[in-house]
Amino acid sequence: MKRNILTLMAGALLLGMSSMSAMAAGKTIAVSWKTFQEERWKTDEAAIKAVVEAAGNKYISTDAQGSAAKQLTDIEGLVSQKVDVILVVAFDSSAILPAFQTAADAGVKMISYDVLVEHPDALYVTFDNVGVGRLMAKTMLEKGKAEGDFAFIKGDKGDPNATFLFEGIMEVLKPNMDAGKIKNVCETFTDGWKPDGAQKNMEQCLTSVNNKVDAVISENDGMAGGVVAALEAQGLAGTVPVTGQDGDHAALNRVALGTQLVSVWKDSRVLGKSAAEFANMIADGKALTELPGVGKFSGGQKGVEVNAVLIPPNPITKDKLNEVIDGGWVTKEKVCAGVPAGSVPACG
Amino acid sequence: MSANVAQSHGPALSEESAVTRFFRATEIDTRLLGMIVALLIIWIGFDVYSGILRPADGLFGGSFLTPRNLWILLVQTSSIAVMTTGMVLVIVMRQIDLSVGSILGFVAVVIGTAQVFWMPALGFPVGHPLIWIVTLLLGIAIGASIGAFQGALVAYAGIPSFIVTLGGLIGWRGAAWAVIRGETVAPMDKNFKLMGGSFSGTTSGAIGDVASWVLGLAACALIILGLINNRRQRDRFKFPQRPMWAEYFLGATGCVVALGTTLLVNSYPWPKGVVDRYAAANGITLPPEGLFISHGYALPVLIALAVGALMTFMATRTRFGRYVYATGGNPEAAELAGINTKKLTVMIFALMGSLAAISASISTARLDSATNSLGTFDELYVIAAAVIGGTSLAGGLGTIYGAMLGALVMQSLQSGMTLLNFESAYKDMVVACVLVFAVFVDQVYRRRVK
Repeated sequence: MKRNILTLMAGALLLGMSSMSAMAAGKTIAVSWKTFQEERWKTDEAAIKAVVEAAGNKYISTDAQGSAAKQLTDIEGLVSQKVDVILVVAFDSSAILPAFQTAADAGVKMISYDVLVEHPDALYVTFDNVGVGRLMAKTMLEKGKAEGDFAFIKGDKGDPNATFLFEGIMEVLKPNMDAGKIKNVCETFTDGWKPDGAQKNMEQCLTSVNNKVDAVISENDGMAGGVVAALEAQGLAGTVPVTGQDGDHAALNRVALGTQLVSVWKDSRVLGKSAAEFANMIADGKALTELPGVGKFSGGQKGVEVNAVLIPPNPITKDKLNEVIDGGWVTKEKVCAGVPAGSVPACG
Repeated sequence: MSANVAQSHGPALSEESAVTRFFRATEIDTRLLGMIVALLIIWIGFDVYSGILRPADGLFGGSFLTPRNLWILLVQTSSIAVMTTGMVLVIVMRQIDLSVGSILGFVAVVIGTAQVFWMPALGFPVGHPLIWIVTLLLGIAIGASIGAFQGALVAYAGIPSFIVTLGGLIGWRGAAWAVIRGETVAPMDKNFKLMGGSFSGTTSGAIGDVASWVLGLAACALIILGLINNRRQRDRFKFPQRPMWAEYFLGATGCVVALGTTLLVNSYPWPKGVVDRYAAANGITLPPEGLFISHGYALPVLIALAVGALMTFMATRTRFGRYVYATGGNPEAAELAGINTKKLTVMIFALMGSLAAISASISTARLDSATNSLGTFDELYVIAAAVIGGTSLAGGLGTIYGAMLGALVMQSLQSGMTLLNFESAYKDMVVACVLVFAVFVDQVYRRRVK
C-alpha cells in the first residue's frame, strides 16, 4: 500500500516539476547504458539529454555493450572524470555494486534507472510494474466489466514480470472475487508471451466454457491481439473487454476500434524526463529524501531499502487516445485505421 | 512411402493368424494404424476426463470430442502440418532444417508489412482485391529463395545443414525484427484473412456445407477410382491382387472417413454473434431458435490437405520423389547412379522454404497480425511431428501422411491439456515424453519387422 501512495504522489508532482529544475548550470550528468543496440534506449536518451541541456548542464554517456565488466570500468572512468551525477541502466544489478560503492566513496550521486541496483545511497527511478497490473484490473472494473466470468491470459511462466503483473491484478480484483461477483474461469501461462500461443489458449478457454466469458485480462498487447482474434472467430470481439500493456501501435488501433479496452502505456520519454529532472536537482545539492514524490522501496532480491520514485504508467483507453497521438508516439493514421468517422473523439 | 503399399509377397505361411492375414490382404501400414489408435485413445481420454471436470455435449460427455473443438483442432494443426510435409523429405535426404520457424517469422512480417504499408504506398489502397494474392506470392518467392540459398550453402559450400540452418534460425529471426523494428503489424487484408479460417466481417474463412459435401463426395469418388485404377495397373503388370473383400473394405473405410469428417465440420455452426451480424447485414429476420449456418471445411485445413496430397504425389509418383528417397537411402550410390544430389538438395530446401511461407500466410491470417515472434519453436514441433510420424533421422524412411498425423497427435495433446487447464510446465513435460516414447515404439517395431 505504501507504494500505492507513492505512485499517486509521483503522478501529481510530475506535472508541476518541469518549472522547478531550471536553476543550476554547469554541472555534468552522465549516463552509463547497458547496451545501446536496443531501439528503446535511444528514446530515453533523447528525453534525458533535452532536460539536462535545458538546465544548462552537460550530458555525457558511455555504452557497456552488454558487458558487466565494461560497465564497471565505464563507471570508474566517469567517477574519475568527476561528473556530478551518474544514471545507470545496469546490465547486471549485482555485479555493478562495487562501482556504486566507488562512486559513493568519491561523493558522486547515483541513480539506478529502470533496473534496480540495491545500493542504499542510490536513487531508483522506474515505472511502477506491479502498478501496471493494478491499472489493468482497475480500468477493467471501471470501464469494462466489474463482474462475471473472467479469463486470465498470463505471460511466460519463466518471466517474473508475468507473476508481478498477476499479483497486481489480483490485488484489485480480490474484493469482487471474494464477494462471488467475479469468477476465474480460465487462467493460463503463455510460452514466450507469444500472440499465437495466446490465441490457442483463448480458443481452448472459449471451448471449455462454451463462450461464457465476460472479460479477458491479457498481460500484454501482443497476446491481446491473439485473444481478440480468438474472440472474433466466435463473434465476440468488441463485446468482451480485453486488457493489454505496451502501447503497441496495433493495440492502440484495436482500442480505437473497440475490440480492446485498454493498453497500459509506459512512455519511456516520461521516465527519461523525470529521471533527468531528478539528476538536475541532485546535482544542485538536493538530498534524495527531499525529492518530490520520493519514497522507500525494498522489493528487490536482497531487500535493501533504497530511495525510489515509481512513475505511474498511463492507461490508454478510447477516450485517451489523443495522448498517444499528441505525444508523437504513433501517427493518427495508424491509430484510426478502419475506425468509422465520429465514433472515437481522437480520430474525428 | 510407396514401399509400404507395394510390398512384394512371398508365399503365405499357413500358421498366420487372422489379424496378420487381414493386414496382409488389405496392405494397411500397421504403423499408421498404431498411430491412429493412439490418436483415438488421446481423444477419448481427453473427452472423458474433461467430462468428469465439466460435463458438456461431447461424444463421451466432455468438451473435447465436439464438432467445435475438433474443427478448431484441425485449424490449429494446419500450419505445422504444412511444414512437416517438407520436413519429412528434408530428413529423408539426411539433412535437417532448423530455420523453418524463423523463416516463417520473417516471411510473416514481410507479408504483413507489404499488406499494411508497401502495397498501399504502391497505389493499391487497403482492401484492394489484388493485395492478398500479390503478398502471398511474394511470401512464397521469398521463402523459396531463402531455402534455395541455404540449400546451396549446404550442397555447394559443403557446410553441414545443421549449421547452415542453425544460422538461419538465429539470423532470420533477427531479420524479422529488422523489417519493421519489432513492431506488430495489423490488421491483415480482408481477403487474405480468410486463409486463416476465421471470419472477415461476415465472410467465413470456411467453405460452408454445400461445398464441403461436394468435396467429401469427390474425395470418396477419388478413393474408389484410385482403387479401381490400382487393380487395373496390377493386372497389367501381373502383380498379385488384393482379395475383393479387402478392396471393398478399403473403399468403404475411405468413404466413411471422408464423409464422416465432412459431417463433422458441417456440424459446427457459425457462432451467434456472427449470425446476428450476418442477419442484420442481409435483412434476414432471425427465427427464435436461431439460424444454423455450417462452417464446413476451413480454408487452412484445405490448404494443408492439398499440400499433403500434392507432396505425397511428388514423393511417391515423380522422379524427383524417387531421387529424394534414393539419395536418403544411400547418397553415394545415388550419386554414382547419376543423380545430381547437389541440385536435389537445393530444390528440397527451396521447397521447405516455400512451405514455411505458406505456413506463414496461414499463421498471419489466423492471428490477423504479423509479429516477429510468430513461429518461435515451430522448427522443433515440425521436426517432432515428422519423427512421431515415423520419419527416420537416419534418412531414407518417412511418409508424409504419417508426419501430418504426427502433427495432429502433438496438437491434440497440447489443445487437450489447455482445455483441461493444465499448468504449461506439465504440458511441455507430457509432450516431451510422448515424443521420446513414440520414437522408442517405432524403433522396437522396426527391429521386430526385420
